[in-house]
Amino acid sequence: MKMKKMLMLCATVTLAFSITACGSNEVKNNATPEASNTTTETAAPEEVIADGALQPEEGATLTVWESKEERTFTDEMAKQFEEKYGIPVKVEEVQATDQVTKLTQDGPSGLAADIVMFPHDNLGRAAEAGLLLTNEALAKETIANNTPASIQGVTFNGELYGYPRAAETYALFYNKELVKEAPKSFDDVIEFSKTFTDKSKNRYGIMWEPGNLYFNYPFIATGGGYIFGDNGTNKEDIGINSAGALVGLQTYVKLKAALPIKSADITSDIKRSLFNAGDVAMDITGPWELAGYKEALGDKLGIAPIPTIDGKPAISLSGIKAWYVNSFTQYPNAAQLFAEFASTKEAQLLLNEKVGSIPTNNEALASDQIKSDPFVSGFAQQVINSQPMPTIPEMGNIWSPVNAAFPEIWDNGKDPKEAMDKAVQQIKDLNGGATK
Amino acid sequence: MDRYRNKATILSLISMGLGQIYNRQFIKGFVYLLIEAYAIIYFSSNLGRSLWGIVTLGDTPRMRVNGKWIDGDHSIFILIQSLITILLLIIFVIIYIMNVRDARKTAEKRENGIQPNSFKQSIRYVLDYKFAQAFLTLPAIGILFFTVMPIIFMVMLAFTNYSAPNHIPPAKLIDWVGFDTFRDLISLKTWSHTFYGVLTWTIIWAVLSTVTTYFGGLLVALLINQKGIKFKGLWRTILIIPYAIPQLISLLVMRNMFNGQFGPVNQYLGYFGFGQLPWLTDPFWAKVTVIVVNMWVGIPVSMILIMGVLTTIPRDMYEAAEVDGASNYQKFRIVTLPMILFTTAPTLIAQFAGNINNFNAIFLLTSGNPVVGDYQYAGATDLLVTWLYKLTLDQNKYNMASAVGIIIFLIIASFSIYNYRRTKSFKEEDMIQ
Repeated sequence: MKMKKMLMLCATVTLAFSITACGSNEVKNNATPEASNTTTETAAPEEVIADGALQPEEGATLTVWESKEERTFTDEMAKQFEEKYGIPVKVEEVQATDQVTKLTQDGPSGLAADIVMFPHDNLGRAAEAGLLLTNEALAKETIANNTPASIQGVTFNGELYGYPRAAETYALFYNKELVKEAPKSFDDVIEFSKTFTDKSKNRYGIMWEPGNLYFNYPFIATGGGYIFGDNGTNKEDIGINSAGALVGLQTYVKLKAALPIKSADITSDIKRSLFNAGDVAMDITGPWELAGYKEALGDKLGIAPIPTIDGKPAISLSGIKAWYVNSFTQYPNAAQLFAEFASTKEAQLLLNEKVGSIPTNNEALASDQIKSDPFVSGFAQQVINSQPMPTIPEMGNIWSPVNAAFPEIWDNGKDPKEAMDKAVQQIKDLNGGATK
Repeated sequence: MDRYRNKATILSLISMGLGQIYNRQFIKGFVYLLIEAYAIIYFSSNLGRSLWGIVTLGDTPRMRVNGKWIDGDHSIFILIQSLITILLLIIFVIIYIMNVRDARKTAEKRENGIQPNSFKQSIRYVLDYKFAQAFLTLPAIGILFFTVMPIIFMVMLAFTNYSAPNHIPPAKLIDWVGFDTFRDLISLKTWSHTFYGVLTWTIIWAVLSTVTTYFGGLLVALLINQKGIKFKGLWRTILIIPYAIPQLISLLVMRNMFNGQFGPVNQYLGYFGFGQLPWLTDPFWAKVTVIVVNMWVGIPVSMILIMGVLTTIPRDMYEAAEVDGASNYQKFRIVTLPMILFTTAPTLIAQFAGNINNFNAIFLLTSGNPVVGDYQYAGATDLLVTWLYKLTLDQNKYNMASAVGIIIFLIIASFSIYNYRRTKSFKEEDMIQ
């Protein structure tokens, strides 16, 4: 018993030293202002020079998060940026929809990228959590150069946060060999499908993801429904079960005749392969499919706005993809410069060239490259009839309940009103009591 | 001659190491003194803040003042930091007690006229007699900080309001809310309905998947072991293949095979003129599908296990049974089955506990779908563990996820302990009464 603890002691002490040393310092850096000199003030810098030129910090290095699909563009941007400013930029792959979640985790511990990119419906969550720097130093240029809708999308609580780089909505892709001209209304779609859809041969007149609110939004909004009232800012006023929405949902229910499949059996992979093989005549989807479809169908591919619902032009949901600067960045100036640099007219045109995106930059939209591209201009028409997704944080509570309600209607023939009422009730619970 | 004892005790109570120095063990005393000094320095700067932190979880969030972000308290970091400090304090207290006991013991020996060990002798004593304890200290400390501490931290989360969208640091603070999260989970209709639904299915799944794979494996093993079966090695190889393929591949392939409209399974059913089944899209059939596919994955494991057990059953038991005129069925019921059950009962319980948390089988095959309209973020085939995954990674409802996690642990622990204590192999009774 006597001396037995000697070694234990030594071990304990050394280990305790090492653990506390790394453990507490790391934490302290973020938790106690006086402990660190880097992360206490990450602010929009004061030393903005008169002509609005930011000076990048000495020895800055940047990290950017970018989705797999659009990585080629960002790699190119990183290279050009380094050539221009001599600041190395590292690109890491993070899916666009996961970026805010990852930023929430990694931002405060200083492990996140300096510049992130996500669809604007996540903006509210990120801004409320204090994860983003506002776009102040370069706001003038951003506002002057981009479409008002895109600026609205990257603004939250009256403050401009983002640097828009592309607008995204969905439209009707159709196979010209099977459909002579794009149908004007969903009634035409149903008529056409009567001659084309054959479940036993797996041929369908039209296909989209009928369990997904994003693509089903036209049925809700065209007749006057909405997600959140007051232009998507009033979390108390949920309009997916309003009278207008229920009118449009009648059309949704009628479309089952054209696409007699359970919603869960339709995955984007299956849809893609059927459309490429000519077994699906029309597909409602977004620009991310464009490159593949062009390759598969060539001249046979056409793009048109989404067919009308009850005689009104269909209203789709649009997303604005934009760069944002992480508020924990050590190099706010360099990061802002990069975000600006990667969202200029030239950058947006390059992005269009790489992935067929729709620019938000006014000059880029007016350029020949976009004007002469039949595909992008088809989308551009639909963008005019689109509403940007709400940016309030409660938007995060919308998807699950509504994406559970649509399959109930589609697969189990539930009454739309009943299903949507339940979804609204759930969303309200989530916004209020259940998330306390 | 009690005074050595008491003096040493009092001295080491006053400060670590004084008692040892009094006992003429200078180096050891000095080491203790150093520890004491370090502890005083460390705790004086940290302990107060830690106690404040663990009680309040911070009081100023990160705020923007005139466009500049001023760092405030990050509740989660504060919680972890406080936890580390408090654990170190406990370790320090333990060392302190050890030091007092050591001083007292040595003093007792001195009273009995035994020379206290020199430092060299102490070291040698530890290496010779207390080697295991000394050596295990390192891993023990490692486990404390890398396993126990995170678990404590995660359990603590269940008693906070750490969840999206309103309580995510750094811009917001989190607070202790006591048992509110559990109360919501059990009594708030939106949560409780999902919780009881998912819990019920989890139990059903665990029982069915364990029973089907176990008895499926038993059947296959017995069949292969029958006399007169040729190519035993071949059959074994074929049956072991599903187990050899990584689930990540096989289950994702299965997912496509069972696609209600485009999957080969339904195509063949249609081809032979049977009706098509909604394998993955109807709540009931999706449950059937996961059970069936899990049999395909799980039977090989049980088969191998039981084949091994079969070889250990002494032949003379069967010979004795034959002499008594037992039929094949009686031989199986009276000799084979009890032997197998006796040997594999602990494994069976382990399998059962594992199936409660069988994340792969569910997540890769159905992702918990088909969706159920009135569930919170869960689908018809979601187990508690996949639901927990969705709550954490998709919804950032960490407090709810933590509460669900604690409940899963309680269920598995109680089931396992209760069942294990009842098995014959635990009681070490005679195998066959």
